Amino acid sequence: MSINERTTKHEVSRATGDDLARELATRALADTPIWRIRLRLFRRSFARNWALFRDNKLGLVGLAMIAIFAVMAIIHPILMATVWDPAIYDPVVGYDSVAVEVTVVEEVTDPISEMEYQEARLRFGPLTSLGDTVTVRLQPAPPTLAGDYPHFLGTDPQGRDIFSQLLYSTRAAFLLGAVAALTTVLFATTVGAIAAYYGGWIDGGLMRFADLILLMPLLPLLIVLSAAFSINMVMLGLLIGVLNGFGGTAIVLKSQALAIKVKAYIDAARVAGGGDWHVIFRHIVPNVLPLTFLFMMFGVTEAIAIEATLSFFGLLNVPMTWGVMINTAQTQGYLLSGTDFWWLLFPAGLAVSFLAFAFFIVGRGMDEVINPRLRAR
Amino acid sequence: MIKFLLRRFIQMGILFVIFLSVIWLILQLMPGDVSDTLIGDPSIPLTARADLRARLGLDQPLHIQYFTYITNFFRGDLGVSFSRYPQEVSAILWNALPRTLYLFLTATLFAFWLGFKTGKLIAWGRGGKTEQGLIVGGVFLQTVFYPWFAIVMLWLFGFFLGWFPIGRFIDARLWQGAPFLANDVFELIVLTVVITGVLYGLMRLAIKRFATNPVVEHRLRQGAALVTVGGLLLYWYLSPMRTYAADIAHHTVLPVVTLGLVAFGATMLLTRSSMLETLGEDYILTARAKGLHDRAIRDRHAARNAMLPVTTSLVLALAFVIGGGIITETIFSWPGMGLIFLQAIGVNDLPLAIGALSITGVLALVGHLVADILYTVLDPRIRIS
Amino acid sequence: MTVSLESLRTRQIDPTKPLLEVDDVVMHYKIKAGEVSAVDDVSFTVHQGEAVGLVGESGCGKTSVALSLLRLLPSNAEYISGEIRLDGENLLALSDEEMRARRWKDIAMVFQGAMNSWNPVYKVGDQIREVLDTHFRGMMSYDEQRHHMERLFGSVGLPGEMLDRYPHEFSGGMRQRAVIAMALACSPSLIIADEPTTALDVIVQDQILKELKRIQAEMGMSIIYISHDIAVIAEVTDSLGVMYAGKLVEYGPTSEVFARPRHPYAYLLLRSTPSITGPRRVLAPLEGEPCDLLRPPAGCRFNPRCPFATRRCTEEEPPLLDIGGGHKVACWNHEDVPALEEALQR
Repeated sequence: MSINERTTKHEVSRATGDDLARELATRALADTPIWRIRLRLFRRSFARNWALFRDNKLGLVGLAMIAIFAVMAIIHPILMATVWDPAIYDPVVGYDSVAVEVTVVEEVTDPISEMEYQEARLRFGPLTSLGDTVTVRLQPAPPTLAGDYPHFLGTDPQGRDIFSQLLYSTRAAFLLGAVAALTTVLFATTVGAIAAYYGGWIDGGLMRFADLILLMPLLPLLIVLSAAFSINMVMLGLLIGVLNGFGGTAIVLKSQALAIKVKAYIDAARVAGGGDWHVIFRHIVPNVLPLTFLFMMFGVTEAIAIEATLSFFGLLNVPMTWGVMINTAQTQGYLLSGTDFWWLLFPAGLAVSFLAFAFFIVGRGMDEVINPRLRAR
Repeated sequence: MIKFLLRRFIQMGILFVIFLSVIWLILQLMPGDVSDTLIGDPSIPLTARADLRARLGLDQPLHIQYFTYITNFFRGDLGVSFSRYPQEVSAILWNALPRTLYLFLTATLFAFWLGFKTGKLIAWGRGGKTEQGLIVGGVFLQTVFYPWFAIVMLWLFGFFLGWFPIGRFIDARLWQGAPFLANDVFELIVLTVVITGVLYGLMRLAIKRFATNPVVEHRLRQGAALVTVGGLLLYWYLSPMRTYAADIAHHTVLPVVTLGLVAFGATMLLTRSSMLETLGEDYILTARAKGLHDRAIRDRHAARNAMLPVTTSLVLALAFVIGGGIITETIFSWPGMGLIFLQAIGVNDLPLAIGALSITGVLALVGHLVADILYTVLDPRIRIS
Repeated sequence: MTVSLESLRTRQIDPTKPLLEVDDVVMHYKIKAGEVSAVDDVSFTVHQGEAVGLVGESGCGKTSVALSLLRLLPSNAEYISGEIRLDGENLLALSDEEMRARRWKDIAMVFQGAMNSWNPVYKVGDQIREVLDTHFRGMMSYDEQRHHMERLFGSVGLPGEMLDRYPHEFSGGMRQRAVIAMALACSPSLIIADEPTTALDVIVQDQILKELKRIQAEMGMSIIYISHDIAVIAEVTDSLGVMYAGKLVEYGPTSEVFARPRHPYAYLLLRSTPSITGPRRVLAPLEGEPCDLLRPPAGCRFNPRCPFATRRCTEEEPPLLDIGGGHKVACWNHEDVPALEEALQR
C-alpha cells in the first residue's frame, strides 16, 4: 500500500499532510511501522495544540464549565435511582406540596390588609384571627434545604422540583448539542470537500443550494416547522444540523478545502492511484477537521439557544428542557417575577446562557490554536 | 457594472421564486387550516366552515392554490389575512415593517458603532484587565439566552426600577382622545431621523473633501453632529406632537437597549479579532516605520481594513431583522413583523405568515447585494466584472 | 517654511565620518519559555555614503538588528544594553515621540516582500503623501506634494500617473520600485533594505539593486542591505557583516570578507551559495540547523556545527578581533581556517 493511502484521519494539526511527509522523509530508511509514526505524530500535534490551548485561560474556564454541566447530566439518573423519590422528584410528573408557615396580617390598616384578612378567614375558617400563624401549601415554593423532601431550588408552579428539572434538562441540552454539531459537521465537511474537489457544476449547484438555505431565516423557519410537525430533541438537532451543514458552514469549509486541494500531497495521492473518494475522505476531510471542531463548538452554542427559544414559545414536543422551564414560569404568570420568584427564572436562564457561553469560549480557544494571529503575544 | 447588476437581479429573482415556493410548501404542511378555529364554537353551523373554506379558496387543489398565490404575489396582491379579515396582508405588513426596521436600525447601528470603536481600542491596546473583562462581557452578551435576558431587562428597568414602560408601543391612556394617529407620529419620527442621518452623512462627506488638517476635520465633524442632532431635537421640541413623540421614544428605549447590547457584544468581538488579523499584516509595520502617528496607524490603516467583515455582518444582520424580531417584539409587545408572524403561525393565518416570510426573503436578498456592493467600494482589489 | 525640493535631493558626504554607530547592542525577546537572545553584543559602524551588508541564515537576528535601528521591535523585545547612535545621538535614549519623528525622515526602510508593504485599500500616491503629511506638515502644498512624488517616481523609473493606482495594479517589481520611491520621500540619511529583492525574479532583482546603488550614489545616503544571499549583496556593498545566532561573527570590507572569509560559518555560507561573478568553487551544503536561541550553546555559538571546532570553542566565547585592515573575526581558529579549508576540499 502506498504511503499516501495510509494517512491518518485523526490528526488535529492543520499541517497534518506536510508533517507526515516530513516525518517520512527524515526516516525514510528506518523500518518503523507506519501506525507508530502516525500515533507519534498525533500525540505530538495533540500535545502542541493542547499547550497552545492551555495558554488561553478563558478556554480552560469553558472546559471546566462544560465538565460541571456534564457532572450535572450524569448525576441526575443516579439521584433518581438512589436518593430521590420519583413520585416527588420526577422532573415532569413529580409533585410535592410544600407546607409553609404564614402569619395572617397583624392589624387591619387599609383596604388591602382588610381584604387579606377576609381571605384568610375564608381559607382557614372563621376562627382565624389577626396575627395567627397558619400553615399553607403553596406552589411555587421557595428553596428548602431541610425537611423530608428538600428542594434546593424550590418547586415550580406545578409542584415539581426545579433542581431535578435543571439536572434532567442538562442531559437533553448535551444530546441536542451533540446531534446538531455532529450533523452540521458531517454534512458541511462532505459538501465542502466535494464542492472543492470536483468544482464545476457540482460546486455551482451545491453553492447555489447553500445560498438558498442562507436566505431562509432559521428561527422563523423552525417555528413554522415545529408548528407543523411534532418535533422532539433529536429531530430538532438533525434539522439544525442539516440546515447549517448545507448552508453557511459548508461555504466556509469549502474555501478551506480549496486551500488544501492545491497542496502537493493531494497531487501525490492522486498520482499514487488514489480514487476521488479516497482523496476526499482520507486527505481533504482530515485536514479540514480542525476547523470543523471549531464549528462544532459554535454549532452547540447555536443549537442550545434555538432549542431554548422554541421551547420558550412552547413549540416543541419535549417534556422538559430549560426553555420549557422558563415557558412554564411565563405561562403561569411569573414572567416579571424578578427576584420574588427568582428560582423560576434564574436557574434555567442562567443554565442556557452558561452552557452556550462555555462552548463558545472553548470554540474561541480553539480558534486561537488554529489562527496564530489571534494569540496573545 | 450595469451588466453585473442585471445578472444579479435575474439571479435574485430566480432565487426568490424558489424561496417563496419552498416557504409556501412548508406552510401547507401545517396541520388543519384557519376554519378549524370555528369548530370550538357550537353556535356556528357546520356549513359555515365549508363556506369559509370555499370563500378563502382552501377547497381548491393544492397546485391551483399555489399558482394563484404566486401569480397574485407578483401582481402585488399578497391576499387577505384570515385572522384579521378583511384586512389586506400587504396593508398589515406595510404598517408593521417601519416599526420593526426602526427598532432594529436604531439598535443595530448604535451597537455596531459602539462595538466597532470598543473592539478597535481593545485590539490596539492588548492584554489589559479591561480587555479581558470586555471579552468576557462580550461573549456573555453574545451567548446569553436572549428571551431570558430580555425578560430580566424588562423586569429590572421596567418593573423594579420603573424607568421605562413595560412593553407596548404607546401608552393607551395618554393617547386617548389624541389629535394624532400613533402611526402618523411614528412615521414622522422615522422620516425626521432618516433626514437627520442623511444630512449628517452629507456633511461628513463635504468635511472630508474640504478640511485641510485632521484637527479641524475632527472639530467640524463634532460641529456637524451637534447641528444635525440639535436641529432634530429642536424640531420635535417645537412640534405640537411633542408629548406623543416623546411617549413613543420612551417606549423604544428598553427594546433598543436590550437588542443593542446583544449586537454590541458580537460586533465588539468580531472587530477585535478582525483587527488582530490586520495588525499582523506587513503594511502595519510599514506604517509604523513611516513614522505615522499611532492614531493614524490604528484608524487609517488597521481599523479601515478590519472594517470589511464587520460591515458584511452589519448588512446581513439587518437582513435578518424579522427572525431576530420575533423574540424582542414578543417580549416587549412591540407590534412589528416578528410579532405578527408569530401570531399568524399560531392561528394558521397562512397568507399573513407567507407575506411576513417573503419580506424576510426580500430583505435578505437585498442585504446580500448591498454587502457585495459595499465590499467592492471598501476593497479596491475586488472589482465587479 | 516650505521644503525646497532641491534640499531633498543630495547631501554633502564625508566618507570618513560615521553616520550610524551600533555599539554592543544586546536585545532579548521575552517569551513564555524564557528569554531569547536575538541580538547579542553586536557592534558595527556605517559611514556616510557607505553601503553595508548583513548576511546570515533566517533566524540569525539580522532582521532584529534592522528593526532595532528603527525601534520597531514587538512589545516583548527588550534592549538589555548598548547604544545605537545616529549622527552621534543615541536613538535608544529618545522618547517614543522623538523616535517616531525620526522614522522615515532619517532612517527609511524597504521591507522584505514589497507585495505586502502596501495597504491594499489606498492608492499608492496617497500612501506616500501620508509620509509627507506627517513629516512635512504644513510645509508643502498639495500640488508641491504631487510634484515631489512624481519626481520620486521618475527617479525609480515609474510614470507619475501610477501614483493614482492601487497596489494590486502594480507588478512585483513595480511595487518594489514604488517602495523605494517612498523610502526616498524625505531624503533620509540611511535606508535599511531588508531582503529588498527576495520574491522577485533574477532580472528584476538585478534592476532593483542597480537602481538602489545609483540612487545611493546620487543622493549620498547610506544603505544597510540585509539578505540571506551573500552573493547578491556582495555586489552592492562596501562592507559586509556575517551574523550567526544573534552575533556578528565576521565584519570587514566586502572584497576582503568575500574573497577570504575567516570565520568557518562565513566560509561555509559562501560555499553553500553559487556565484556568477565570484571565484569558482565547489558547492557544499551547510549542515545542521541554527542553534536554539533560548539555550545557546556554551563557548562559540557555532561550535556544534563547526567542522573545525576545538575544545576551546566549546568553553570560551571568541571575541570579535581585528585581524588587520578593518577585517574582524570572532573565531579562535581563524588563522587555521585557510589551511583547514584545503583539508576539507580533499
